[in-house]
Amino acid sequence: MTPGGKKSVLVIDDASLVRAYYRQALEKAGYRVDEAMNGLEGLEKLLMHPFDVVIVDVNMPQMDGMTFLSTLRSKDLPLAGIPALVTSTEAGEQDVAAARRAGANYYVVKPISQEALANYIDLLTGVAR
Amino acid sequence: MPLVRRGSSETAAPRLDASTLTAALAGGSIDERWTAARAAAELPNGLALLSDALSREADPRVREAIFTSIARTRIPESAAALLPYLHSDDASLRAGALDALRAMPEATAPHLPGLLTDKDADVRVLACELVRNQPVGEANRLLRPILATESQANVCGAAVEVAAEVGGPDLLPLLAECAGRFPDDPFLGFAIQVASDRIGSQASNRG
Amino acid sequence: MVFTEAKRYYVERRIAERMAATSIDSFPAYFAFLRSEIRDEVEHIINAFTVNETYFYREDHQLECLTKDLLRERIQEKRRGDAIRIWSAPCSTGEEPYSIAIWLLENWSEVDNFNIEIVGSDIDTRVLGAASAGIFGKRALMRLPPDLVARYFEQLDDERWLILDDLRQSVQFSRVNLVETRQTRPQGQFDVIFCRNVLIYFDDESRRVAAENLYDNLLPGAFICLGHTESMSRISPLFEVCRYSDAIVYRRPREMKP
Repeated sequence: MTPGGKKSVLVIDDASLVRAYYRQALEKAGYRVDEAMNGLEGLEKLLMHPFDVVIVDVNMPQMDGMTFLSTLRSKDLPLAGIPALVTSTEAGEQDVAAARRAGANYYVVKPISQEALANYIDLLTGVAR
Repeated sequence: MPLVRRGSSETAAPRLDASTLTAALAGGSIDERWTAARAAAELPNGLALLSDALSREADPRVREAIFTSIARTRIPESAAALLPYLHSDDASLRAGALDALRAMPEATAPHLPGLLTDKDADVRVLACELVRNQPVGEANRLLRPILATESQANVCGAAVEVAAEVGGPDLLPLLAECAGRFPDDPFLGFAIQVASDRIGSQASNRG
Repeated sequence: MVFTEAKRYYVERRIAERMAATSIDSFPAYFAFLRSEIRDEVEHIINAFTVNETYFYREDHQLECLTKDLLRERIQEKRRGDAIRIWSAPCSTGEEPYSIAIWLLENWSEVDNFNIEIVGSDIDTRVLGAASAGIFGKRALMRLPPDLVARYFEQLDDERWLILDDLRQSVQFSRVNLVETRQTRPQGQFDVIFCRNVLIYFDDESRRVAAENLYDNLLPGAFICLGHTESMSRISPLFEVCRYSDAIVYRRPREMKP
Protein backbone atom coordinates (compact mmCIF):
# COMPACT_ATOMS: atom_id res chain seq x y z
CA MET A 1 0.00 0.00 0.00
CA THR A 2 1.32 3.43 -0.86
CA PRO A 3 1.08 6.61 1.21
CA GLY A 4 -2.44 7.94 1.47
CA GLY A 5 -3.87 4.44 1.61
CA LYS A 6 -4.23 4.12 -2.13
CA LYS A 7 -3.67 0.74 -3.64
CA SER A 8 -1.30 0.69 -6.56
CA VAL A 9 -1.65 -0.94 -9.96
CA LEU A 10 1.05 -1.68 -12.50
CA VAL A 11 -0.29 -1.69 -16.06
CA ILE A 12 1.81 -3.58 -18.59
CA ASP A 13 0.79 -3.19 -22.21
CA ASP A 14 2.77 -2.11 -25.25
CA ALA A 15 0.05 0.26 -26.49
CA SER A 16 0.28 3.68 -24.88
CA LEU A 17 -3.41 4.37 -25.48
CA VAL A 18 -4.44 1.17 -23.75
CA ARG A 19 -2.32 2.15 -20.77
CA ALA A 20 -3.89 5.62 -20.79
CA TYR A 21 -7.37 4.07 -20.90
CA TYR A 22 -6.72 1.82 -17.93
CA ARG A 23 -5.04 4.65 -16.08
CA GLN A 24 -8.08 6.87 -16.48
CA ALA A 25 -10.39 4.12 -15.27
CA LEU A 26 -8.29 3.17 -12.28
CA GLU A 27 -7.33 6.65 -11.14
CA LYS A 28 -10.99 7.54 -11.19
CA ALA A 29 -11.60 4.52 -8.97
CA GLY A 30 -8.99 5.74 -6.51
CA TYR A 31 -5.93 3.72 -7.48
CA ARG A 32 -2.38 4.89 -8.00
CA VAL A 33 -1.22 3.75 -11.46
CA ASP A 34 2.18 3.11 -12.98
CA GLU A 35 2.95 1.81 -16.47
CA ALA A 36 5.37 -0.45 -18.27
CA MET A 37 5.53 -1.16 -21.97
CA ASN A 38 6.74 -4.73 -21.93
CA GLY A 39 7.28 -7.62 -19.55
CA LEU A 40 10.92 -6.75 -18.91
CA GLU A 41 10.14 -3.22 -17.88
CA GLY A 42 7.29 -4.59 -15.81
CA LEU A 43 9.62 -6.88 -13.91
CA GLU A 44 11.99 -4.02 -13.25
CA LYS A 45 9.26 -1.82 -11.84
CA LEU A 46 7.97 -4.63 -9.68
CA LEU A 47 11.46 -5.18 -8.31
CA MET A 48 11.89 -1.55 -7.42
CA HIS A 49 8.47 -0.60 -6.00
CA PRO A 50 5.61 -2.32 -4.23
CA PHE A 51 2.37 -2.83 -6.15
CA ASP A 52 -0.88 -4.41 -5.08
CA VAL A 53 -1.88 -5.81 -8.45
CA VAL A 54 -0.55 -6.08 -11.97
CA ILE A 55 -2.43 -6.00 -15.26
CA VAL A 56 -0.53 -7.57 -18.09
CA ASP A 57 -1.36 -8.05 -21.75
CA VAL A 58 -0.55 -11.30 -23.47
CA ASN A 59 0.99 -9.87 -26.62
CA MET A 60 4.01 -7.67 -26.08
CA PRO A 61 7.44 -7.38 -27.68
CA GLN A 62 10.67 -8.27 -25.85
CA MET A 63 8.85 -10.37 -23.29
CA ASP A 64 5.26 -11.49 -23.78
CA GLY A 65 2.70 -11.69 -21.00
CA MET A 66 2.94 -15.42 -20.36
CA THR A 67 6.72 -15.34 -20.10
CA PHE A 68 6.47 -12.36 -17.78
CA LEU A 69 4.03 -14.14 -15.56
CA SER A 70 5.98 -17.39 -15.33
CA THR A 71 9.20 -15.51 -14.67
CA LEU A 72 7.47 -13.49 -11.98
CA ARG A 73 5.92 -16.52 -10.29
CA SER A 74 9.25 -18.33 -10.24
CA LYS A 75 11.09 -15.61 -8.35
CA ASP A 76 11.97 -16.37 -4.78
CA LEU A 77 10.54 -13.08 -3.57
CA PRO A 78 7.27 -11.93 -1.93
CA LEU A 79 6.36 -10.01 -5.07
CA ALA A 80 6.12 -13.29 -6.94
CA GLY A 81 2.64 -13.79 -5.53
CA ILE A 82 1.17 -10.46 -6.62
CA PRO A 83 -2.38 -10.76 -8.01
CA ALA A 84 -2.28 -10.63 -11.80
CA LEU A 85 -4.99 -9.89 -14.30
CA VAL A 86 -4.17 -10.97 -17.84
CA THR A 87 -5.74 -9.22 -20.81
CA SER A 88 -5.97 -10.62 -24.29
CA THR A 89 -7.89 -10.38 -27.52
CA GLU A 90 -8.26 -14.18 -27.53
CA ALA A 91 -11.23 -15.85 -25.89
CA GLY A 92 -10.27 -19.47 -26.54
CA GLU A 93 -10.18 -22.09 -23.78
CA GLN A 94 -6.57 -22.93 -24.53
CA ASP A 95 -5.55 -19.33 -24.09
CA VAL A 96 -7.32 -19.07 -20.76
CA ALA A 97 -5.81 -22.37 -19.62
CA ALA A 98 -2.33 -21.25 -20.66
CA ALA A 99 -2.74 -18.06 -18.69
CA ARG A 100 -3.85 -19.97 -15.63
CA ARG A 101 -0.85 -22.28 -15.92
CA ALA A 102 1.46 -19.30 -16.16
CA GLY A 103 -0.04 -17.96 -12.94
CA ALA A 104 -2.83 -15.56 -13.86
CA ASN A 105 -5.49 -14.89 -11.24
CA TYR A 106 -7.95 -13.58 -13.76
CA TYR A 107 -8.26 -13.44 -17.52
CA VAL A 108 -10.16 -10.76 -19.39
CA VAL A 109 -10.88 -10.49 -23.09
CA LYS A 110 -10.51 -7.06 -24.66
CA PRO A 111 -12.17 -4.69 -25.13
CA ILE A 112 -13.06 -4.11 -21.55
CA SER A 113 -15.14 -1.26 -20.21
CA GLN A 114 -13.55 1.06 -17.69
CA GLU A 115 -16.17 0.14 -15.13
CA ALA A 116 -15.60 -3.57 -15.53
CA LEU A 117 -11.84 -3.07 -15.23
CA ALA A 118 -12.20 -1.15 -11.99
CA ASN A 119 -14.49 -3.89 -10.65
CA TYR A 120 -11.97 -6.62 -11.43
CA ILE A 121 -9.19 -4.67 -9.78
CA ASP A 122 -11.38 -4.08 -6.73
CA LEU A 123 -11.88 -7.85 -6.54
CA LEU A 124 -8.20 -8.64 -6.90
CA THR A 125 -7.10 -6.11 -4.31
CA GLY A 126 -9.85 -6.86 -1.82
CA VAL A 127 -11.40 -3.42 -2.01
CA ALA A 128 -15.07 -3.36 -1.03
CA ARG A 129 -17.32 -0.67 -2.46
CA MET B 1 49.07 -4.00 -5.63
CA PRO B 2 46.21 -6.35 -6.39
CA LEU B 3 45.41 -4.47 -9.58
CA VAL B 4 46.98 -6.08 -12.59
CA ARG B 5 47.17 -5.25 -16.23
CA ARG B 6 47.43 -7.73 -19.03
CA GLY B 7 47.64 -7.10 -22.73
CA SER B 8 44.49 -8.03 -24.62
CA SER B 9 44.52 -11.47 -26.10
CA GLU B 10 43.75 -12.06 -29.72
CA THR B 11 41.18 -14.80 -29.65
CA ALA B 12 40.53 -16.45 -32.96
CA ALA B 13 37.42 -15.25 -34.73
CA PRO B 14 35.16 -18.03 -36.00
CA ARG B 15 35.90 -19.21 -39.50
CA LEU B 16 33.75 -17.32 -41.87
CA ASP B 17 32.58 -19.74 -44.51
CA ALA B 18 29.12 -20.99 -45.26
CA SER B 19 29.76 -24.69 -44.73
CA THR B 20 31.38 -24.27 -41.31
CA LEU B 21 28.61 -21.99 -40.15
CA THR B 22 25.89 -24.20 -41.55
CA ALA B 23 27.34 -27.17 -39.73
CA ALA B 24 27.58 -25.22 -36.49
CA LEU B 25 24.02 -23.99 -36.82
CA ALA B 26 22.74 -27.46 -37.48
CA GLY B 27 24.57 -29.47 -34.87
CA GLY B 28 26.56 -27.29 -32.52
CA SER B 29 26.02 -26.51 -28.85
CA ILE B 30 23.98 -23.45 -27.92
CA ASP B 31 27.12 -21.33 -27.72
CA GLU B 32 28.38 -22.64 -31.06
CA ARG B 33 25.05 -21.95 -32.75
CA TRP B 34 24.94 -18.51 -31.16
CA THR B 35 28.41 -17.61 -32.41
CA ALA B 36 27.69 -19.02 -35.86
CA ALA B 37 24.38 -17.12 -36.10
CA ARG B 38 26.18 -13.90 -35.26
CA ALA B 39 28.99 -14.55 -37.72
CA ALA B 40 26.58 -15.40 -40.54
CA ALA B 41 25.56 -11.73 -40.72
CA GLU B 42 28.91 -11.08 -42.39
CA LEU B 43 28.48 -13.67 -45.12
CA PRO B 44 27.39 -12.45 -48.54
CA ASN B 45 24.70 -15.13 -48.71
CA GLY B 46 24.04 -15.29 -45.03
CA LEU B 47 20.31 -14.82 -45.34
CA ALA B 48 19.60 -18.27 -46.77
CA LEU B 49 21.66 -19.91 -44.07
CA LEU B 50 20.06 -17.86 -41.32
CA SER B 51 16.58 -18.35 -42.63
CA ASP B 52 17.08 -22.07 -42.70
CA ALA B 53 18.50 -22.11 -39.19
CA LEU B 54 15.60 -20.07 -37.88
CA SER B 55 13.12 -22.64 -39.10
CA ARG B 56 14.73 -25.26 -36.86
CA GLU B 57 16.04 -23.30 -33.91
CA ALA B 58 14.31 -23.59 -30.55
CA ASP B 59 16.68 -21.85 -28.18
CA PRO B 60 15.50 -18.27 -27.47
CA ARG B 61 18.99 -16.79 -27.27
CA VAL B 62 20.08 -18.30 -30.59
CA ARG B 63 16.81 -17.23 -32.18
CA GLU B 64 17.46 -13.70 -31.00
CA ALA B 65 20.92 -13.76 -32.57
CA ILE B 66 19.50 -15.12 -35.84
CA PHE B 67 16.90 -12.37 -35.92
CA THR B 68 19.54 -9.73 -35.29
CA SER B 69 21.72 -11.10 -38.06
CA ILE B 70 18.79 -11.21 -40.47
CA ALA B 71 17.99 -7.59 -39.58
CA ARG B 72 21.59 -6.70 -40.33
CA THR B 73 21.44 -8.08 -43.85
CA ARG B 74 18.86 -5.38 -44.56
CA ILE B 75 17.98 -6.45 -48.09
CA PRO B 76 14.33 -6.64 -49.15
CA GLU B 77 14.61 -10.44 -49.17
CA SER B 78 15.34 -10.39 -45.44
CA ALA B 79 11.98 -8.86 -44.76
CA ALA B 80 10.38 -11.47 -47.03
CA ALA B 81 12.14 -14.22 -45.10
CA LEU B 82 10.67 -12.97 -41.84
CA LEU B 83 7.09 -12.46 -42.94
CA PRO B 84 5.98 -16.05 -42.44
CA TYR B 85 6.93 -15.80 -38.78
CA LEU B 86 4.35 -13.11 -38.23
CA HIS B 87 1.82 -15.89 -38.71
CA SER B 88 3.50 -18.23 -36.25
CA ASP B 89 1.63 -19.75 -33.33
CA ASP B 90 4.70 -19.17 -31.22
CA ALA B 91 4.42 -15.72 -29.59
CA SER B 92 8.16 -15.33 -29.21
CA LEU B 93 8.75 -16.05 -32.91
CA ARG B 94 6.14 -13.49 -33.85
CA ALA B 95 7.69 -10.95 -31.48
CA GLY B 96 11.21 -11.75 -32.71
CA ALA B 97 10.23 -11.35 -36.35
CA LEU B 98 8.42 -8.12 -35.56
CA ASP B 99 11.42 -6.66 -33.73
CA ALA B 100 13.73 -7.58 -36.60
CA LEU B 101 11.36 -6.07 -39.18
CA ARG B 102 11.07 -2.99 -37.01
CA ALA B 103 14.82 -2.53 -37.25
CA MET B 104 14.73 -2.46 -41.06
CA PRO B 105 11.95 -0.10 -42.15
CA GLU B 106 13.21 0.31 -45.72
CA ALA B 107 13.31 -3.41 -46.43
CA THR B 108 9.91 -3.83 -44.80
CA ALA B 109 8.14 -0.99 -46.63
CA PRO B 110 7.27 -2.84 -49.87
CA HIS B 111 5.55 -5.57 -47.87
CA LEU B 112 3.36 -3.38 -45.75
CA PRO B 113 0.39 -2.97 -48.08
CA GLY B 114 0.12 -6.75 -48.24
CA LEU B 115 0.49 -7.22 -44.51
CA LEU B 116 -2.10 -4.58 -43.76
CA THR B 117 -4.64 -6.51 -45.82
CA ASP B 118 -3.66 -9.99 -44.61
CA LYS B 119 -6.66 -12.17 -43.89
CA ASP B 120 -5.38 -12.82 -40.37
CA ALA B 121 -6.39 -9.94 -38.12
CA ASP B 122 -3.48 -10.62 -35.74
CA VAL B 123 -1.06 -10.08 -38.62
CA ARG B 124 -2.79 -6.82 -39.52
CA VAL B 125 -2.30 -5.72 -35.90
CA LEU B 126 1.42 -6.42 -36.10
CA ALA B 127 1.60 -4.68 -39.47
CA CYS B 128 0.23 -1.48 -37.92
CA GLU B 129 3.14 -1.51 -35.51
CA LEU B 130 5.52 -1.63 -38.48
CA VAL B 131 3.88 1.43 -40.00
CA ARG B 132 5.14 3.44 -37.05
CA ASN B 133 8.74 3.39 -38.24
CA GLN B 134 7.99 4.42 -41.79
CA PRO B 135 8.55 8.02 -42.89
CA VAL B 136 5.70 10.14 -41.57
CA GLY B 137 4.04 10.82 -44.92
CA GLU B 138 4.11 7.19 -45.90
CA ALA B 139 2.81 6.12 -42.50
CA ASN B 140 -0.17 8.42 -42.87
CA ARG B 141 -0.85 7.08 -46.33
CA LEU B 142 -0.82 3.50 -45.06
CA LEU B 143 -3.10 4.26 -42.13
CA ARG B 144 -5.86 5.82 -44.22
CA PRO B 145 -7.43 2.65 -45.65
CA ILE B 146 -7.31 0.93 -42.27
CA LEU B 147 -9.11 3.75 -40.52
CA ALA B 148 -11.57 3.96 -43.38
CA THR B 149 -12.52 0.32 -43.80
CA GLU B 150 -11.02 -2.07 -41.23
CA SER B 151 -13.69 -4.19 -39.61
CA GLN B 152 -11.80 -5.60 -36.64
CA ALA B 153 -11.71 -3.39 -33.57
CA ASN B 154 -8.31 -4.47 -32.33
CA VAL B 155 -6.71 -3.74 -35.71
CA CYS B 156 -8.27 -0.29 -35.61
CA GLY B 157 -6.92 0.09 -32.10
CA ALA B 158 -3.43 -0.66 -33.33
CA ALA B 159 -3.83 1.81 -36.20
CA VAL B 160 -5.13 4.52 -33.87
CA GLU B 161 -2.14 3.95 -31.57
CA VAL B 162 0.18 4.73 -34.46
CA ALA B 163 -2.00 7.61 -35.68
CA ALA B 164 -1.70 9.20 -32.25
CA GLU B 165 2.04 9.34 -32.71
CA VAL B 166 2.51 10.21 -36.37
CA GLY B 167 -0.92 11.17 -37.67
CA GLY B 168 -1.54 14.40 -39.54
CA PRO B 169 -4.74 16.48 -39.64
CA ASP B 170 -5.85 14.64 -42.78
CA LEU B 171 -6.55 11.63 -40.63
CA LEU B 172 -9.04 13.42 -38.39
CA PRO B 173 -12.14 12.78 -40.51
CA LEU B 174 -11.12 9.13 -40.92
CA LEU B 175 -10.66 8.76 -37.19
CA ALA B 176 -14.14 10.12 -36.64
CA GLU B 177 -15.53 7.69 -39.19
CA CYS B 178 -13.75 4.84 -37.50
CA ALA B 179 -15.26 5.76 -34.15
CA GLY B 180 -18.64 5.70 -35.83
CA ARG B 181 -18.14 2.12 -37.00
CA PHE B 182 -17.61 0.87 -33.43
CA PRO B 183 -20.04 2.81 -31.26
CA ASP B 184 -20.06 0.15 -28.55
CA ASP B 185 -16.33 -0.27 -28.14
CA PRO B 186 -15.38 1.79 -25.07
CA PHE B 187 -11.65 1.56 -25.59
CA LEU B 188 -11.70 2.54 -29.23
CA GLY B 189 -13.87 5.58 -28.53
CA PHE B 190 -11.38 6.70 -25.89
CA ALA B 191 -8.36 6.01 -28.09
CA ILE B 192 -9.77 7.88 -31.07
CA GLN B 193 -10.59 10.85 -28.86
CA VAL B 194 -7.06 11.01 -27.49
CA ALA B 195 -5.49 10.57 -30.92
CA SER B 196 -7.72 13.25 -32.43
CA ASP B 197 -6.96 15.65 -29.59
CA ARG B 198 -3.24 15.12 -30.04
CA ILE B 199 -3.34 15.62 -33.78
CA GLY B 200 -5.58 18.65 -33.35
CA SER B 201 -3.28 20.33 -30.85
CA GLN B 202 -0.29 19.67 -33.10
CA ALA B 203 -2.11 21.38 -35.96
CA SER B 204 -2.83 24.40 -33.82
CA ASN B 205 0.80 24.60 -32.69
CA ARG B 206 1.78 24.71 -36.28
CA GLY B 207 -0.51 27.68 -36.89
CA MET C 1 18.47 24.69 -17.06
CA VAL C 2 19.12 28.26 -18.08
CA PHE C 3 20.22 29.15 -21.57
CA THR C 4 21.72 32.44 -22.59
CA GLU C 5 21.53 33.85 -26.09
CA ALA C 6 25.05 32.55 -26.63
CA LYS C 7 23.83 29.01 -26.20
CA ARG C 8 21.11 29.40 -28.79
CA TYR C 9 23.13 27.72 -31.48
CA TYR C 10 23.90 24.84 -29.13
CA VAL C 11 20.21 24.42 -28.35
CA GLU C 12 19.24 24.54 -32.02
CA ARG C 13 21.82 21.94 -32.92
CA ARG C 14 20.63 19.55 -30.21
CA ILE C 15 17.02 19.88 -31.29
CA ALA C 16 17.96 19.43 -34.94
CA GLU C 17 19.79 16.23 -33.99
CA ARG C 18 16.78 14.86 -32.14
CA MET C 19 14.47 15.77 -35.02
CA ALA C 20 16.73 13.93 -37.41
CA ALA C 21 16.93 10.95 -35.08
CA THR C 22 13.14 10.71 -34.83
CA SER C 23 12.52 11.49 -38.54
CA ILE C 24 10.24 14.38 -37.65
CA ASP C 25 10.82 17.29 -39.95
CA SER C 26 8.82 20.11 -38.48
CA PHE C 27 9.46 21.65 -35.10
CA PRO C 28 5.76 21.82 -34.08
CA ALA C 29 5.46 18.12 -34.87
CA TYR C 30 8.60 17.40 -32.88
CA PHE C 31 7.33 19.48 -30.00
CA ALA C 32 4.05 17.61 -29.97
CA PHE C 33 5.96 14.35 -30.05
CA LEU C 34 8.05 15.50 -27.11
CA ARG C 35 4.96 16.45 -25.15
CA SER C 36 3.25 13.18 -25.88
CA GLU C 37 6.06 11.47 -23.96
CA ILE C 38 6.24 8.64 -26.41
CA ARG C 39 9.38 6.55 -26.52
CA ASP C 40 11.41 8.45 -23.98
CA GLU C 41 12.00 11.44 -26.21
CA VAL C 42 12.09 13.60 -23.11
CA GLU C 43 14.90 11.46 -21.76
CA HIS C 44 16.81 11.71 -25.03
CA ILE C 45 16.60 15.42 -25.22
CA ILE C 46 17.61 15.83 -21.59
CA ASN C 47 20.60 13.60 -22.20
CA ALA C 48 21.42 15.63 -25.28
CA PHE C 49 21.55 18.77 -23.19
CA THR C 50 23.27 17.56 -20.07
CA VAL C 51 26.83 17.42 -21.21
CA ASN C 52 27.91 13.95 -20.26
CA GLU C 53 29.87 15.21 -17.35
CA THR C 54 32.17 12.72 -15.85
CA TYR C 55 33.98 12.92 -12.55
CA PHE C 56 35.40 10.59 -9.95
CA TYR C 57 32.90 8.68 -7.85
CA ARG C 58 30.11 9.97 -10.04
CA GLU C 59 27.79 7.07 -9.31
CA ASP C 60 29.06 6.00 -5.96
CA HIS C 61 25.91 4.01 -5.23
CA GLN C 62 26.85 1.79 -8.14
CA LEU C 63 30.35 1.43 -6.68
CA GLU C 64 28.81 0.42 -3.38
CA CYS C 65 26.66 -2.12 -5.17
CA LEU C 66 29.81 -3.39 -6.87
CA THR C 67 31.57 -4.33 -3.65
CA LYS C 68 28.59 -5.04 -1.40
CA ASP C 69 26.68 -7.22 -3.84
CA LEU C 70 28.17 -7.93 -7.24
CA LEU C 71 31.70 -8.91 -6.35
CA ARG C 72 30.50 -10.76 -3.30
CA GLU C 73 28.48 -12.95 -5.67
CA ARG C 74 31.28 -13.29 -8.16
CA ILE C 75 33.88 -14.48 -5.68
CA GLN C 76 31.66 -17.28 -4.40
CA GLU C 77 33.03 -19.49 -7.09
CA LYS C 78 36.54 -18.11 -7.22
CA ARG C 79 39.65 -19.10 -5.32
CA ARG C 80 42.29 -16.81 -3.87
CA GLY C 81 44.48 -15.40 -6.58
CA ASP C 82 41.89 -15.81 -9.29
CA ALA C 83 41.29 -12.96 -11.68
CA ILE C 84 38.43 -10.53 -11.37
CA ARG C 85 37.88 -8.57 -14.55
CA ILE C 86 35.94 -5.33 -14.71
CA TRP C 87 35.17 -3.39 -17.86
CA SER C 88 34.34 0.27 -18.11
CA ALA C 89 32.99 0.90 -21.59
CA PRO C 90 32.80 3.67 -22.60
CA CYS C 91 35.48 4.91 -20.22
CA SER C 92 35.74 8.43 -21.62
CA THR C 93 38.62 10.32 -20.00
CA GLY C 94 39.18 7.59 -17.41
CA GLU C 95 37.28 8.82 -14.36
CA GLU C 96 35.15 5.70 -14.23
CA PRO C 97 37.85 2.99 -14.41
CA TYR C 98 40.16 4.89 -12.06
CA SER C 99 37.25 5.43 -9.67
CA ILE C 100 36.65 1.71 -9.65
CA ALA C 101 40.31 1.10 -8.89
CA ILE C 102 40.40 3.58 -6.03
CA TRP C 103 37.09 2.39 -4.65
CA LEU C 104 38.23 -1.22 -4.56
CA LEU C 105 41.49 -0.36 -2.87
CA GLU C 106 39.70 1.76 -0.30
CA ASN C 107 36.53 -0.22 0.32
CA TRP C 108 36.84 -3.85 -0.58
CA SER C 109 38.06 -6.14 2.15
CA GLU C 110 38.83 -8.86 -0.38
CA VAL C 111 40.89 -6.66 -2.64
CA ASP C 112 44.20 -8.35 -1.82
CA ASN C 113 42.84 -11.84 -2.39
CA PHE C 114 42.31 -11.55 -6.10
CA ASN C 115 44.05 -10.31 -9.21
CA ILE C 116 41.87 -7.46 -10.32
CA GLU C 117 42.01 -6.41 -13.93
CA ILE C 118 40.32 -3.18 -14.89
CA VAL C 119 39.90 -2.37 -18.56
CA GLY C 120 38.72 0.98 -19.88
CA SER C 121 37.54 1.20 -23.49
CA ASP C 122 36.18 3.94 -25.68
CA ILE C 123 35.65 4.57 -29.38
CA ASP C 124 37.30 7.99 -29.14
CA THR C 125 41.10 7.85 -29.14
CA ARG C 126 41.46 11.39 -27.84
CA VAL C 127 39.68 10.61 -24.60
CA LEU C 128 41.64 7.40 -24.32
CA GLY C 129 44.83 9.37 -24.62
CA ALA C 130 43.70 11.67 -21.85
CA ALA C 131 42.72 8.68 -19.74
CA SER C 132 46.15 7.10 -20.12
CA ALA C 133 47.82 10.38 -19.30
CA GLY C 134 45.91 10.45 -16.03
CA ILE C 135 45.78 14.20 -15.49
CA PHE C 136 42.59 15.60 -14.01
CA GLY C 137 41.21 18.98 -13.03
CA LYS C 138 39.41 20.25 -9.97
CA ARG C 139 35.93 19.49 -11.28
CA ALA C 140 36.77 15.86 -11.91
CA LEU C 141 37.96 15.44 -8.35
CA MET C 142 35.23 17.40 -6.65
CA ARG C 143 33.51 14.42 -5.08
CA LEU C 144 36.63 12.82 -3.71
CA PRO C 145 37.45 13.51 -0.08
CA PRO C 146 40.75 15.38 0.31
CA ASP C 147 42.51 12.42 1.90
CA LEU C 148 41.80 10.29 -1.17
CA VAL C 149 43.08 12.99 -3.46
CA ALA C 150 46.21 13.24 -1.37
CA ARG C 151 46.66 9.49 -1.37
CA TYR C 152 46.17 8.77 -5.06
CA PHE C 153 47.13 11.93 -6.89
CA GLU C 154 50.10 14.17 -7.21
CA GLN C 155 49.24 17.82 -7.57
CA LEU C 156 51.02 19.30 -10.55
CA ASP C 157 49.73 22.84 -10.25
CA ASP C 158 46.58 24.81 -9.27
CA GLU C 159 44.51 23.15 -11.93
CA ARG C 160 45.95 19.72 -12.46
CA TRP C 161 46.42 16.51 -10.57
CA LEU C 162 48.22 13.45 -11.87
CA ILE C 163 46.98 10.06 -10.76
CA LEU C 164 49.62 7.87 -9.13
CA ASP C 165 51.70 5.90 -11.54
CA ASP C 166 50.80 2.59 -9.92
CA LEU C 167 47.15 3.23 -10.66
CA ARG C 168 47.81 4.64 -14.08
CA GLN C 169 49.73 1.50 -14.97
CA SER C 170 47.13 -0.82 -13.55
CA VAL C 171 44.26 0.09 -15.86
CA GLN C 172 44.35 -1.20 -19.41
CA PHE C 173 42.94 1.19 -21.99
CA SER C 174 41.79 0.09 -25.42
CA ARG C 175 39.98 1.52 -28.38
CA VAL C 176 36.72 -0.34 -28.88
CA ASN C 177 33.55 0.29 -30.82
CA LEU C 178 30.90 -1.67 -28.93
CA VAL C 179 29.08 -2.50 -32.15
CA GLU C 180 32.13 -4.14 -33.71
CA THR C 181 32.43 -7.74 -32.60
CA ARG C 182 35.97 -7.89 -33.93
CA GLN C 183 36.89 -5.19 -31.45
CA THR C 184 34.84 -6.35 -28.48
CA ARG C 185 35.68 -10.06 -28.57
CA PRO C 186 39.43 -9.66 -27.90
CA GLN C 187 38.65 -7.87 -24.65
CA GLY C 188 37.70 -11.21 -23.18
CA GLN C 189 35.06 -12.01 -20.60
CA PHE C 190 34.38 -9.95 -17.53
CA ASP C 191 32.85 -10.32 -14.09
CA VAL C 192 31.31 -6.86 -14.17
CA ILE C 193 30.74 -4.46 -17.04
CA PHE C 194 29.81 -0.81 -16.63
CA CYS C 195 28.21 0.35 -19.85
CA ARG C 196 26.56 3.58 -18.98
CA ASN C 197 24.72 6.07 -21.15
CA VAL C 198 25.85 4.85 -24.53
CA LEU C 199 23.42 2.18 -25.72
CA ILE C 200 20.54 4.64 -25.83
CA TYR C 201 22.29 6.53 -28.61
CA PHE C 202 22.44 3.57 -30.97
CA ASP C 203 19.79 2.77 -33.55
CA ASP C 204 17.71 -0.39 -33.13
CA GLU C 205 20.00 -2.63 -35.07
CA SER C 206 23.27 -1.42 -33.54
CA ARG C 207 21.77 -1.63 -30.09
CA ARG C 208 20.98 -5.31 -30.58
CA VAL C 209 24.44 -6.07 -31.91
CA ALA C 210 26.09 -4.19 -29.05
CA ALA C 211 23.93 -6.03 -26.49
CA GLU C 212 24.92 -9.35 -28.02
CA ASN C 213 28.57 -8.33 -27.93
CA LEU C 214 28.26 -7.38 -24.28
CA TYR C 215 26.62 -10.72 -23.56
CA ASP C 216 29.64 -12.45 -25.08
CA ASN C 217 31.95 -10.32 -22.97
CA LEU C 218 30.32 -11.53 -19.77
CA LEU C 219 31.13 -14.71 -17.93
CA PRO C 220 28.03 -16.78 -17.16
CA GLY C 221 26.37 -15.23 -14.12
CA ALA C 222 28.32 -12.00 -14.51
CA PHE C 223 26.82 -8.54 -14.26
CA ILE C 224 26.30 -5.51 -16.43
CA CYS C 225 25.29 -2.08 -15.12
CA LEU C 226 23.67 0.53 -17.30
CA GLY C 227 23.12 4.23 -16.64
CA HIS C 228 20.68 5.33 -14.02
CA THR C 229 17.84 6.09 -16.44
CA GLU C 230 18.52 3.27 -18.88
CA SER C 231 16.81 -0.08 -19.06
CA MET C 232 17.51 -3.33 -20.88
CA SER C 233 13.76 -3.53 -21.47
CA ARG C 234 14.24 -1.17 -24.38
CA ILE C 235 17.42 -2.85 -25.57
CA SER C 236 17.58 -6.62 -25.39
CA PRO C 237 15.87 -9.66 -23.85
CA LEU C 238 19.14 -11.52 -23.31
CA PHE C 239 19.79 -10.49 -19.73
CA GLU C 240 18.17 -11.35 -16.43
CA VAL C 241 17.16 -8.46 -14.26
CA CYS C 242 18.20 -8.33 -10.60
CA ARG C 243 17.73 -5.81 -7.89
CA TYR C 244 20.60 -5.14 -5.56
CA SER C 245 20.54 -2.39 -2.92
CA ASP C 246 18.70 0.39 -4.65
CA ALA C 247 19.69 -0.40 -8.19
CA ILE C 248 18.66 -2.56 -11.08
CA VAL C 249 21.53 -4.63 -12.44
CA TYR C 250 21.49 -7.09 -15.34
CA ARG C 251 23.08 -10.45 -15.54
CA ARG C 252 24.09 -12.98 -18.12
CA PRO C 253 22.24 -16.13 -17.06
CA ARG C 254 24.30 -18.74 -15.30
CA GLU C 255 25.18 -21.85 -17.22
CA MET C 256 22.56 -24.53 -16.74
CA LYS C 257 24.04 -27.74 -15.47
CA PRO C 258 23.26 -30.48 -17.99
